[in-house]
Amino acid sequence: MAMAAMAAMAAALRAWATAAARQDAAWREALARCAPPLGSLAGLAAQMRAAKRLPWGSSPLGAFRDLPERLWRKQRGAAEALLEQLGGRRTELRAVRDAVGTAGAAVLRLYEERAAELGLEAVLRRGPRCPSLADALEGLQDVERYYRHLYLEIKLFLLHIRCDSLADMETLPQSWERILERYKGDVVQDALLKVSLFVDNQRELCSSAGS
Amino acid sequence: MMKWERLNDNGFTTANKIVNMKISEQFQDNKMEIACDNSAPGSEKPAPKYSEELDNCCEELLETLKHMTKIQLKMEKLTSTTKAICDLEAFHHRAGNRTAPIFHTWPTPYFYEVSLKLSEMYKKELQLKQTIVQEIAHSADQDLMMVYLSSWLYQPYIENSSKLLLEAMLLETGHRQC
Repeated sequence: MAMAAMAAMAAALRAWATAAARQDAAWREALARCAPPLGSLAGLAAQMRAAKRLPWGSSPLGAFRDLPERLWRKQRGAAEALLEQLGGRRTELRAVRDAVGTAGAAVLRLYEERAAELGLEAVLRRGPRCPSLADALEGLQDVERYYRHLYLEIKLFLLHIRCDSLADMETLPQSWERILERYKGDVVQDALLKVSLFVDNQRELCSSAGS
Repeated sequence: MMKWERLNDNGFTTANKIVNMKISEQFQDNKMEIACDNSAPGSEKPAPKYSEELDNCCEELLETLKHMTKIQLKMEKLTSTTKAICDLEAFHHRAGNRTAPIFHTWPTPYFYEVSLKLSEMYKKELQLKQTIVQEIAHSADQDLMMVYLSSWLYQPYIENSSKLLLEAMLLETGHRQC
């Protein structure tokens, strides 16, 4: 009875790991694609600042009286297009967060359904090279928390970008790097490793019990 | 217009190279000045040296501008042709002949108005680009150089509506299907 429940948990965790690995690749790709528009926004801010500082009247562009306003409007339009791109990345990140959250919830629901069959002792049992089911489930929750927290931080960061604050715009790439630096740990890889060790061990146990 | 956009991108790359060369030249000059200040008081400042690479880039930018000028002149010519068609239509109309409409829904004078508007946008943009090409390699002010680059890239005199106007013209002439 407990063996069957444990096998079901291992199968659910295996399916979760496959989905999580796929989602992690999508997450990394979306994160990497945030950097270029942020760099462009910083460059644009430098251009806008230069245009603000320029004494237009005495420059060779003085004859183009409406140029400052026209240029500002175009630069503003370009900044808005970049913000829209970043909005697209945010949607991709949210999709990963939600997908990982849903996949994790399904495993935890299964655990709740079969907790009595499994028994606390079996759930907490560790091997010399094998994490317990509790360890694997903890890893799964760590991953869910990691995406949730980082997504929230990125969302706030992106929502706070204002085209009026050129100094803040110019430091966007650095601020972005600081956020990524804070979340640099291998939470996802660690969890995937834990789950894979647990699943492999269960497979070995099942095959030795069968023979 | 697609050709113009391609030329604009190429021109921006060249202008960017020119600005980078100017900035690194300024950086070298500053270093030399510091070195001269530290050496014997009578020593002369070295004359600004001729850069073949900068010269080549300027040539390249001039060539790009030449191609853009050709496109703009072509636009002007097409606009004047449309004007002539308008006049011809008005003449026929006065003579009592009803001519078949040339476009799907637009009257010919409106087509002319739109072509003129587009042509004027590109004319003004070309004037701005001419000024930039003349001045970009002679400026030492970094803000001004950055404004030149930004103005080249974002084409402030070509309004965002230009693409819509062009698409509408293509629909009217039957070059685009609804």
